[in-house]
Amino acid sequence: MHTRSKYFGSATVVAVLSLCAVGGAPQAQQMQMRMPAANAASGEIKIPDPTKVVLIVNRDSNDISFMDIDTYEMIGSVFLGNNVNPHMAMMSPDGRYVVTGGTSSNKAYIIDVPTLTLLKVINVDFAPEHLAFSPDGRYYYQGNPSGDSISVIDMVTQTEIRRITGLVEPLNITFTPDGTKAYVGNYGAHWVGVIDVTRHELLKKIQVGEVPEISRLDPDRYLGEIHGISNASISNDGRYIYAADGDLGIVAVIDTRDDRVIETIRVGADPWRAFMSHDGRYAVTINNGDETVSFIDTTTNELAAQLAAGPDMTGVNFAAGKAFVISATSSFLYVYDMDNLTPAGRIKIGDQLQLETATTDTADQKLFLASSTDHSIYVIDGATEAVTQVANVGLYPWGTHIMDSRDNYCH
Amino acid sequence: MFTVRVVPSDRQDTRPNTPPTSRGWALVVVGAVAGIVAHASYAQPAGQAQQQDVQSRIDDLEARMDELESTAVLSEPETRVRRIEVWVDENGTQYDQEMPGTELVVTYQRERVYRRQLVNEKIEAAIDDAASNSVEVGVDAAITLQHALQDSGPESIADGNTYQLASADLFFTAGIAQYTVFFADIVGLSGTPPDAEIQGLNLLNGYTARLVNQNELTLREAWLMTELLDQKLLLTAGRVDLTAFFDHNAVANDESSQFLSDPLVNNPMLGLSENGAGLAAVFDPRNGFSAKFGYQQSSSSATNLSDSLFYLAEVSQLFNPFGLGEGNYRVWYRKDNSSGVDRTGIGVSIDQRVSPGVVLFARYGTAEADTPDDDRFYSAGLELHNALTFNPDDYWGMGVARTELGTDDQELLLESYYKFQMTEKLTMTVHLTHVTEEPVGAEETSYFVPGLRVQASF
Repeated sequence: MHTRSKYFGSATVVAVLSLCAVGGAPQAQQMQMRMPAANAASGEIKIPDPTKVVLIVNRDSNDISFMDIDTYEMIGSVFLGNNVNPHMAMMSPDGRYVVTGGTSSNKAYIIDVPTLTLLKVINVDFAPEHLAFSPDGRYYYQGNPSGDSISVIDMVTQTEIRRITGLVEPLNITFTPDGTKAYVGNYGAHWVGVIDVTRHELLKKIQVGEVPEISRLDPDRYLGEIHGISNASISNDGRYIYAADGDLGIVAVIDTRDDRVIETIRVGADPWRAFMSHDGRYAVTINNGDETVSFIDTTTNELAAQLAAGPDMTGVNFAAGKAFVISATSSFLYVYDMDNLTPAGRIKIGDQLQLETATTDTADQKLFLASSTDHSIYVIDGATEAVTQVANVGLYPWGTHIMDSRDNYCH
Repeated sequence: MFTVRVVPSDRQDTRPNTPPTSRGWALVVVGAVAGIVAHASYAQPAGQAQQQDVQSRIDDLEARMDELESTAVLSEPETRVRRIEVWVDENGTQYDQEMPGTELVVTYQRERVYRRQLVNEKIEAAIDDAASNSVEVGVDAAITLQHALQDSGPESIADGNTYQLASADLFFTAGIAQYTVFFADIVGLSGTPPDAEIQGLNLLNGYTARLVNQNELTLREAWLMTELLDQKLLLTAGRVDLTAFFDHNAVANDESSQFLSDPLVNNPMLGLSENGAGLAAVFDPRNGFSAKFGYQQSSSSATNLSDSLFYLAEVSQLFNPFGLGEGNYRVWYRKDNSSGVDRTGIGVSIDQRVSPGVVLFARYGTAEADTPDDDRFYSAGLELHNALTFNPDDYWGMGVARTELGTDDQELLLESYYKFQMTEKLTMTVHLTHVTEEPVGAEETSYFVPGLRVQASF
């Protein structure tokens, strides 16, 4: 539980920029960044239970809004500043903070959850996007793909204590359950980075597969835009990492004990990343190159099925024994029966929508899907497939997050 | 069930989201630097640590300024048009909420958002927009080279001869309304396929079916396709090729990327010899089951739509038997009057993954003929990925096809191929075919037909 004394302890009031009494909106922005400490100290508790809210990342209204998970009422939002354009948000393991990176502001933001106030703004590297908390909540790793770095934020001091460089478009970070290591998917390369979390140093680069010799004949494909590794997805027991590589069309299985590739599995074309089913039985990749979905049996590390899906897939959520695959531009969710790995229909969310990503509640019953172009969240009942629209949640909702959900991801 | 909950606009965060101008940013940065310097002077006695802190902040601000100048587009806020619902009264007054005497109306309105975009994002968006509003053109060009080596039967003119056929398809695709697409395929062929000299029951080169006249462009397909009923029902009408809808097979259905011989591309019992006016309806709720119905005229000399008309129906189901992997099982039925009387045919097409890299296929078909006995066709084979290949995207296949006509003419064809995926757009496939013709009242004749296909698609 949260105590007010903790907020006093972490509050920092800085008045330096108040001397800059010129300009318009940016000044207001900076003032707002520095003032919330008082609000946090004296503010009313708006969110007593962090497990009962859905975070919504509104890219174009530049805020993080909070929705009641049961009533779908909007509780409030935290404005981050003009042209911040947050990309992904995550709640700390204790539910005390929400952190997000402002892709256009090159800053990380720490929000006090109970009072919905902005506690701290921290300069990071270029274009921060995806992020992760260490399991103990002590560190928040903010990936800066355009800066080829990860900013390590110490949540005690709420400062960037180190910037891990040497990465190549780090898109996602995955901590091991014991918190000793973190694996980084480098979308601009074909290797997974292993970070020693005690020292915050890049320990090792694990090549997931060899680029075929024949690639020399195809400079357009291999020297153009690279589609490397988006995410290092970890098995439920923390023993294996499943790293999909887009250009190579494979999923490499890495043993986290000795950090070596033990298996390479061919899947469909241009896999985006692997999503782990909640029972841990399957790793599911969405392959935008051939619009298929591959199901990898994690007990044998073999392809179990490869089924047709839709265009521009962004993510997979699991609920009620089904997998729901988001096809961004078709406005459909493609549904698959996870018991027998067969298609189970598709759910039309609307016309001309741009679907983004979704989060599943901890009961594995409901999906909260962000739909950016109509500024809505769609709540999908996994069992009945009934759809409820919650409109006007903010401008251009880009993603959602629920504390302790097993489907918290971004794109 | 679909319900809508609307959060009242007065409950949204309505704080101003004022766009900074370039001048505004410059003022802010200059002001910030001035303020920091002033603060530094004021706080000088506090020591070197504070000076370092100030210097650090100045460095940060300079870095921000560099970034703004080099990557950001600050001139205009992002705008887009949104479909909205409003309430309008009898006087034409529009309201955001329902009022007494108003009706719900759908309209479109521009909205502004304040999202800083990079130059490359702007360019990408412009290119995507241009592409979505233009006709897409695709090219599929192939050159096939085949050689005939007779190994049994009476001497024939084909023995020792080499054949080459060049084919080029030009595809045009355009979106013309929501869920509605126009497609046209113009094809030109030139060359000498082996089928002119080896008179088999089926074509040894699947491209030969497209050859109408040498060196002439022909309209192979031209149709409109639209999707209805939440995109579960797909209707296609125009000049169509019903083999693109019926008798599918995952690994034996494409002369441009799989087997080259015609009986390993489509079931000959379908009976379709050329494309023509027609319609195809596909009901596919994407749950593994689909049903299809279509008709097509298959004669260019027909004088009305009732002449030489084929009706086809098919149901298919996807299974995952014993957890082996996905398998598609299809049954089709055909009725046509191309011979002057109604004839029927029925067929099955199956493909089943049996391991991560191996897919088996099988086809069977039977059709009424002018003889007491029906024509029959069987084929089977496999396609292998990830096994014994030079490159990761290569694959190879083997197949056998047996055709037995009601006249007792028979053909046995075996083909294997290896496909090199040279680049994303270029493939080279090596084929080896053996065909045995067993005509009634004549001696059995057989040939080895090695071949090479070079295919470019872009």
